[in-house]
Amino acid sequence: MARCLLRQYDPRWMACVWSLVFLTQGAMPRVGAAVPPAQLEFARDVRPILADACFVCHGMDTSKRQADLRLDTEAGLAAQVGDGPLVVPGNAAASVLYQRMISHDSAIQMPPAGAKQRPTLEQVATLGRWIEEGAVWQPHWSLVPPRRPPLPAVHGAEWGVNSIDSFVLARLEIEGMKPSPAADRAALARRVALDLTGLPIALEDLDAHLADESPLAYERLVDRLLASPQYGERMAVPWLDAARYADTDGYQDDEPRSMWRWRDWVIDVHNDGLPYDHFTRNQIAGDLVPNGFPEQVLATGFFRNNRTNGEGGSIEAEFHNEYIVDRVVTFGAVWMGVTLECARCHDHKYDAISQRDFYQLYALFNQIPEKGVYRHNSPPTIHVAPRSTQRLLDHIDRQLQQWEAEDPRREALAARREQLTKDIPDTMVLQDGPPRETFLLVRGQYDKPGEPLEAGVPTALAPWPREAPNNRLGLAEWLLDSNHPLTARVAVNRLWQLHFGQGLVDTMEDFGAQGQQPSHPELLDWLASEYRRSGWDTKRLQRLMVMSQTYRQASRVSPERLERDPTNRWLGRGARFRLAGEVLRDQALALSGLLVFKMGGPPVRPYQPDGLWQELAEGSSGAYSDGYQHDTRDGIYRRSLYSFWRRTIPPPSMSMFDSPDREVCALRRPVTNTPMQALNLMNDVTVIEAARHLARRMMSEGGESLTDRIRWGFRLATARWPTELELQALTAGWQRYRTHLQSTPADAEKLIHVGQSTPDSPLPVVEWGAYTVLANTILNLDETVTRE
Amino acid sequence: MNSGNDPTTTGNKERLAPDVMARRSFLRGTGIGLGTVALAHLLGQDAEADEVRRGGPLRSGDSSLGLVSHFPPRARHVIYLCQSGGPSQLDLFDYKPALAAMRGKELPDSVRRGQRITTMTSKQSQLSIVPAQFQFARRGQAGNWISELLPHTATVADELCFIKSTHTDAINHDPAITFLLTGSERAGRPSFGAWISYALGSENQNLPSFVVLLSASRKAGDQPLYARLWGSGFLPTRHQGVRFRGAGDPVLYLTNPPGMSHELRGEMLADVRRINQFKYQEFGDPEIATRIAQYELAGRMQVSLPDLVDLSGEPEHIRALYGPEVEQPGSYAANCLLARRMIERGVRCVQLCHRGWDQHSDLPANLGIQCRATDQPTAALIRDLKQRGLLDDTLIVWAGEFGRTVYCQGDLTANNYGRDHHPRCFTVWMAGGGTRGGMSYGETDDFSYNITRDPVHVHDLNATILHCLGIDHERLTFKFQGRHHRLTDIGGSPVHALLG
Repeated sequence: MARCLLRQYDPRWMACVWSLVFLTQGAMPRVGAAVPPAQLEFARDVRPILADACFVCHGMDTSKRQADLRLDTEAGLAAQVGDGPLVVPGNAAASVLYQRMISHDSAIQMPPAGAKQRPTLEQVATLGRWIEEGAVWQPHWSLVPPRRPPLPAVHGAEWGVNSIDSFVLARLEIEGMKPSPAADRAALARRVALDLTGLPIALEDLDAHLADESPLAYERLVDRLLASPQYGERMAVPWLDAARYADTDGYQDDEPRSMWRWRDWVIDVHNDGLPYDHFTRNQIAGDLVPNGFPEQVLATGFFRNNRTNGEGGSIEAEFHNEYIVDRVVTFGAVWMGVTLECARCHDHKYDAISQRDFYQLYALFNQIPEKGVYRHNSPPTIHVAPRSTQRLLDHIDRQLQQWEAEDPRREALAARREQLTKDIPDTMVLQDGPPRETFLLVRGQYDKPGEPLEAGVPTALAPWPREAPNNRLGLAEWLLDSNHPLTARVAVNRLWQLHFGQGLVDTMEDFGAQGQQPSHPELLDWLASEYRRSGWDTKRLQRLMVMSQTYRQASRVSPERLERDPTNRWLGRGARFRLAGEVLRDQALALSGLLVFKMGGPPVRPYQPDGLWQELAEGSSGAYSDGYQHDTRDGIYRRSLYSFWRRTIPPPSMSMFDSPDREVCALRRPVTNTPMQALNLMNDVTVIEAARHLARRMMSEGGESLTDRIRWGFRLATARWPTELELQALTAGWQRYRTHLQSTPADAEKLIHVGQSTPDSPLPVVEWGAYTVLANTILNLDETVTRE
Repeated sequence: MNSGNDPTTTGNKERLAPDVMARRSFLRGTGIGLGTVALAHLLGQDAEADEVRRGGPLRSGDSSLGLVSHFPPRARHVIYLCQSGGPSQLDLFDYKPALAAMRGKELPDSVRRGQRITTMTSKQSQLSIVPAQFQFARRGQAGNWISELLPHTATVADELCFIKSTHTDAINHDPAITFLLTGSERAGRPSFGAWISYALGSENQNLPSFVVLLSASRKAGDQPLYARLWGSGFLPTRHQGVRFRGAGDPVLYLTNPPGMSHELRGEMLADVRRINQFKYQEFGDPEIATRIAQYELAGRMQVSLPDLVDLSGEPEHIRALYGPEVEQPGSYAANCLLARRMIERGVRCVQLCHRGWDQHSDLPANLGIQCRATDQPTAALIRDLKQRGLLDDTLIVWAGEFGRTVYCQGDLTANNYGRDHHPRCFTVWMAGGGTRGGMSYGETDDFSYNITRDPVHVHDLNATILHCLGIDHERLTFKFQGRHHRLTDIGGSPVHALLG
């Protein structure tokens, strides 16, 4: 039979495939990731090819499976088909799988003629080579629980300070690359401050750091940053993206809701150093923890941040279903890096998730008594005092206990207590009600219930831990069980992304067959094991990352290095990327001295171009009848994570810089570079007002001479002194700005009045105007807007 | 404007040359040697563009253009006239004379067939049939029926290709309009314009490839619009629609702050460029080169965009064509004229949104208001494009998110009625861009309730739009969360009968 098939091969095609096979086996120079390593590995090199080309018809999904053949399992690949064995280890030519893939005969060719996804010639060659090499099968890498790998042997033993560096160096050595030298101390201080607090390093902190000549100086700086309250604010932002947190409901009229108390919980517990297992358990099942605290119930607000629909005429069952689906999908992406959405309608085509699995998870989230159509906050909700309020209340209670019953001061204090209590917001949370039945929904349709299902988990990922309750608390235990292959890997990958710009697995949300392979699989597993071993200590893991020599490398790049590794996948240099929208705005406020450090509380309304809300939604909802009115005081100068987030019309200065709209879970942000961003940094009132205050600081704190002031302002923004060329350019620039403004002093007057704050310094107006333009220049420099 | 030569077909390198040359000289103008990465980035082509080419599509002759076409396109531009709220097909295009005799009667179960209706009317004791209150006449040589509410549209009837049998999945505004414009009822997917920008890039490096224009709202109760309707979803954010505004800055943050003169801004930008060049020379990161070029572009946009939106240079007879409201910035009329100016300058996709078509009550009065605001400018846009020879390669789509019910919502009186949402059939029309003018495609039953012939699902409509642009909707994909996503999800096929 095989011989009969072979006759149909086009010999030229065969020659081509085989020459590729031999080429790739030979001692060819390595170029990036394209060249397969010495020995192919099924999980890394072959499964992705089969997944793309074959799994749609020969995968997990029973309803679409053709010829009763599946290629996503070991047994499936070992099968015999009509033509013979699918795979004959060591003999590609005798393997039907390979024969079919290289055939040009439309009667037997696979994928069949007209298929949308065709493997490339190189991919077919890889498949052939894997069979020739013995066809050793492996499960998908992310389904095998991580084990702590030994540290690799490296030649350049003098480089590196911790275990991370060993893994990175080993990989660089395979690639024939060398690590970059360390970044200079000031650049590194700026980098680590931006990474850990989302704010630029203050000059006095920078000076203190540079003056500290101890070898421990950097470590001390890192520890100070990790201990600062701004750390929690910085860490909250990506979690708010993941949780699709917003201050509105997101559908049609996009009415306000109150979930900020949950947002503050995220900040607080990051600052507390709450271990990731508790962080996870509380959010998934804090309401079910025996003898739990109110804040643990509050934590489940994570799962009430989904959009909710109050549109008139909507059908309750349709949207109730949407909410649960959103929770299941978000859960899968955030905690497991598994894309569950496809399994809503059919078995997953690529990963071991059946439609039954989906609705068993659904059943776990389907137990809260929630309406299907609602606006604003809706039960179940909880009142939990903000921590600052709680401290006040405790203090008042102690006071009241001490005072005599007839003390005249009691009444006022009691009234104050009552007011404080009244101001505690309610927050939507999870709380299970009477049991609700769950059905598999045929093709995902809310009005097509199929068989009834019990709650459960996809046990192909990990077995259900013994004695875990069959509810969300059990789900959390399953997730945190040491047999679960994904939880720790996904978490450390997310932290890695924070500090290196991209994950070790770049597809943050997909560790499945269609996701990217890890660049450094052993490092990923080592970090996962280290995280778990440390008691899921997030700060400790981040400390390990930022202390590594890998992190401390300079981000300068030579043309050769760029050519060799354009995306810095092998980590041979420091990461360099544009700051996030929040960081850009916060940085401008911080450099100008305008930033108000107050933490938490209801959302605030900073500047926003006039008319934005009216243009999209005028008259649609009473809640916004006044349009958008920005705050008049501190609210303008708070950190960006406190800005009112209206999902359907998110703050434009955030969207322009790639923040997601928070309608659905987002686990990574693209980093674009557009003219709209330039316009924002040139003209946004926030930036100009910051510029004029930065100008004032340069004039009052920067010294007496023009040179000193420019040097001071430049260093404030970049943490380094300008070079001679830069100084010349900025000095000449300032002089030209001043000449212009001297001829039009009214312009200078206007410039120093941009924004709400009054220019109350007795500074000469034209000079101040010129410094304002100069500060605008500094705030627009590539280096200022980049973390490098 | 090029002479109408098609730059997206293969082997057109020569014809493309002037455009490419212009871009290259602009890049040289930045005064530094841009790396190829930055160059590709600027021209809208980078690693992600490989995704588009999956399945080995035909490609433009010049690899630096980022243009992708799977087959020769009929259109190079799209103007999408999105009528938000759900215009009544029964009162505008889908003429049902038999209804006159059934006025006030209950909708027969044989027609409703137990299909779901919204909770606004599902609790009504009666679903009373209400015929259109307006006169219909056959218009143009092809003799298609058009309501008296649209007298200007009637004069270009032979340019219009009607689809009477469009249908959608959703029954409420938010999911339905999200579905219409993104191919998914759920948030998070790219809008059709973002897909087109992603596939085809821009023809004018001084302007965005995808522009959004919203009519100023007229009254309370209009359906709100959402950024997701022109969002980029999981595609790179530079493909999101750039909203031009009727008042204030034409685009956000375009105008210099008070006190910052054009000259001063020029000085400031020159200094930013100078120092960024030092940085680029020292650091070698191609992102710096890209940033330098983007600042150049921002500076040029400050000049070119106010000029683009300034309609005062349009001659009197052109302004008259669009009607008196063209004088009001932000009106539908002004936006139609603006759309023509953008198409002339090479903007790939213009999406106009006009709210207020949600006539649950007082339909006769309110539908009239809607039509008066949009009828003349719509017709003018078609006429104006045609007289400039632009209609052939500009596809115009007129669509709402669903239609309206044959039965009355609320009280049916002698001269007043309302209609609820109806997703099972509604009328959409297309014009230009290679579509068949004067055609009427698809049929509905006597109640305009069910489709009796040639249904066209929203996915089919989107597949057809992409087809007109030379794109195979099944091969324009982007891998996200482990799946190759496309505008038409897992459905849709182009309706070839609509194409001339």
